[in-house]
Amino acid sequence: MKKNDVILIAALLVVALLTAGGMRIWQMNNTKDTANVVVTIDGEVYGTYPLSEDRTERIELPDGSYNILVISDGYADVTEASCPDQICVKHNHIRYSKESIVCLPNKVVVTVEGGKENEIDGSTF
Amino acid sequence: MKIKNLKPAIFMGILFIVLIAGILIYRSFAKEKELTRYTATFLDVFDTRTEIVGFAVNKEKFAEDAQLIKDRLIYYNQLYDIYNDYPGVNNIKTINDNAGIAPVEVDPEIIALLEFSIDTYYETDGAVNIALGSVLSLWHRQREIGIADPERAKLPDADALKEASHHTDITGIIIDKEKSTVYLSDPEMSLDVGSTGKGYAVQRVMEYAREKGLNNVLLSLGGNISCIGTRIDGSNFRLGIQNPDVYSDEQYIEMVDINDGECVVSSGDYQRFYEVDGVRYCHIIDPDTLYPSDEFAAVSVITDDSGKADSYSTALYTMSLDEGMAFVKERDNVEAMWVMHDGEKIYSDNFKEKYVK
Repeated sequence: MKKNDVILIAALLVVALLTAGGMRIWQMNNTKDTANVVVTIDGEVYGTYPLSEDRTERIELPDGSYNILVISDGYADVTEASCPDQICVKHNHIRYSKESIVCLPNKVVVTVEGGKENEIDGSTF
Repeated sequence: MKIKNLKPAIFMGILFIVLIAGILIYRSFAKEKELTRYTATFLDVFDTRTEIVGFAVNKEKFAEDAQLIKDRLIYYNQLYDIYNDYPGVNNIKTINDNAGIAPVEVDPEIIALLEFSIDTYYETDGAVNIALGSVLSLWHRQREIGIADPERAKLPDADALKEASHHTDITGIIIDKEKSTVYLSDPEMSLDVGSTGKGYAVQRVMEYAREKGLNNVLLSLGGNISCIGTRIDGSNFRLGIQNPDVYSDEQYIEMVDINDGECVVSSGDYQRFYEVDGVRYCHIIDPDTLYPSDEFAAVSVITDDSGKADSYSTALYTMSLDEGMAFVKERDNVEAMWVMHDGEKIYSDNFKEKYVK
């Protein structure tokens, strides 16, 4: 084997490794690691708020109904609502990606998107 | 032969290996990328939240699969509804409206649900009774009032409950399969399929989806959960069992890994309830006492049929722990977990071994 062959093979290996490594890094950069709280009303996005910033948001519906969303210490919670069943208020606060709190009467869904996963595909309630 | 002559062959060989290695490395990274995990959530069937989890090459393909399931759910929702009318549809409300008046011609899927529910009534010694509508509606009304305005919260009148309980005889459901009609012989009786309808619908919808070739799908209809196959990587779907303590930092009190075709349902006092003088009254009514059961915070059932999971969890919620444990033991492929009011978890014999990883 000539010296040049060795260099060529080495070069090919380096390229292959760089490609694989580069793709991995690209993938990781494209995986959202910042968590946002997304609020939708009847499927339409109402607002998006970072889970890392403490805030209180009054989600207002055209008919005067409302849900109060509180983000604090990395948790999102609905603490008050105008709905009759109060199921959204009785729900635990959430923090993992894809977890959500639903207010059926107001058609409001509060979902955490991005951030830590909890490896859960669904839950009973 | 001299080594020199072999050089091109060796070179080609190495190049080949490098290429294969490159493809393998790429595939090991890209495997999970080929099919993406999607979730569809909607709020417009069975008056609850529906979630579908699936894997597809793109969003459009997943939307197709989800729509196939949703269309089926809408169909069952209309049939099994006890509160609303739908144009051109005879549903359970139509049967109730015609109690003591006339038989109603209905879709065979209604008769299938009623027959399933009647079987369950006998199987559970009456703990699950779809003919309890007259009693349940008294509780339903007070609960709605009490939740909307806690100051006005009160219990249903005891005499009214007693009177209503005289109109809960399951043999009053007269089914004519040939004519596909249902008739309630007692004008005061009414059907409430709250303990079987959602679970049975999920079972039928998933059987349909399976026939249509869907795989690797999880469906949750208001917490009635069922799956076809596994996640795309071959691992089991993992579910959280809601913590009855809704103010806890831990949303789930247990995690379970379910196998192909298995279903999970929880019944509890933590979501649908109201309070009178500081006492919590939940939505699950014991047919023997006509009052809400209060022995457990929650009971969860895992079995291979969603209709059974739904009705068994209701039944176990109204039974004592000993009765419930015996009920589970008598049956194959049924496991349960009881959560006591202090948060203690009690498992049936094989629950932990089979499902808690």
